[in-house]
Amino acid sequence: MQKIQLILAKAGMTLARDVFRGDSPVGMPICGKGTELTEALIARFESMDVHNVYIEGHPIHVEGESSLDDLLLKLDYRFSKTLQEPLNLIMYDIYKAYLIKSMGGNSDQIAE
Amino acid sequence: MTKSRSDLKKIIMDTRTLPTLPNVINKLNSLSDNEKSSVQEMARIVSSDQVLSARILRLANSPSYGFYRVSTISNAMILLGVNVVKSLALSSSIFAIMEKDSIGLWEHSLGVGAAANLIANKLGLPECEEIATAGLLHDIGKVIITIKCSEAEKDILKLAHERQIYILEAEREIIDTDHAEIGGWLSKSWFLPDKLSEPIAFHHDVAKSKNHHIKTAVVHIADVLICASGFGNSGESFVPPIQKIAWDTLNLNEQLLAELINEIEDRLVEVKAFCLEMIND
Ligand SMILES: [Fe+2]
Ligand SMILES: [Fe+2]
Repeated sequence: MQKIQLILAKAGMTLARDVFRGDSPVGMPICGKGTELTEALIARFESMDVHNVYIEGHPIHVEGESSLDDLLLKLDYRFSKTLQEPLNLIMYDIYKAYLIKSMGGNSDQIAE
Repeated sequence: MTKSRSDLKKIIMDTRTLPTLPNVINKLNSLSDNEKSSVQEMARIVSSDQVLSARILRLANSPSYGFYRVSTISNAMILLGVNVVKSLALSSSIFAIMEKDSIGLWEHSLGVGAAANLIANKLGLPECEEIATAGLLHDIGKVIITIKCSEAEKDILKLAHERQIYILEAEREIIDTDHAEIGGWLSKSWFLPDKLSEPIAFHHDVAKSKNHHIKTAVVHIADVLICASGFGNSGESFVPPIQKIAWDTLNLNEQLLAELINEIEDRLVEVKAFCLEMIND
């Protein structure tokens, strides 16, 4: 999931969170998560004072942001003392899968 | 140079030696023994300190609690409970002392508060607000070490780094106690109830919790999760081992953990935004 400015939103992206008028989570959402964006929908959000949306995956690269490989290396380091613990191994595997999914896949480290 | 364990304990048990705790806290503490003191009376006392009230309300509206817009202190007392509000008054005052130097620990603490709340909710546990608060406060002992023995703190971080050991182990070597125990002393001196002081004192050793092992287990797991996520900075480089007793107490399994991690990571986006806002104010 990635929070992006509405101006960077493109048709085909999928909402990861409900969208609210004026970005404030009070009242009814104007569009539900899981919805695929269209040009018309983006224009509608614009007219309703929406400035940011949450998008599935990680479609926009932000300058200075860690790459998936960086993130996985850091994860390995954090777990380097406890990987032999069965419960920690379970947590490690879930986090690894989560990072890969949230960054939209593609890493040299994905062997399986 | 380094203070002994009993010196440290003396300093910590005596709230007066903590720098500039608002007078309001002492009034609250004297009130809490008095069964007759009403929520309204407490709210009135807290509200008389505007800076403190603002800090409390800010925390009450943080992603650690799931409420929209807690706008008054009496509102917070009703929604969160008197003990939670008191803890927020104390923790915000303590954290305010070190303010910008402790952003990493603030983020870690807010992250653990939010994670503890999500876990408690998901497991359908009672008193989610107390559990979230215990999460928010769990490492308060570290703040005290920073304030009270900044020299020792440097040695602790250095030792942990050099020998690649956990902060807790380094603390025990250098100050003969650790931040969890100090947090326990502190919550005693603040007259916090066991349901808050036990998770704080035993979040690194869940088996020691006598009366609130479920709450303690939640805070332990939340702490490990936030470490694993790499969110914030508690000074700890390595994810601690998950204690089996905590895992079993909460009946966790792989599927549940995966769902929790998704929900927590989602919420951490908000926690991050909340922290940034706080820094910029
Ligand atoms: Fe800790
Ligand atoms: Fe912690």
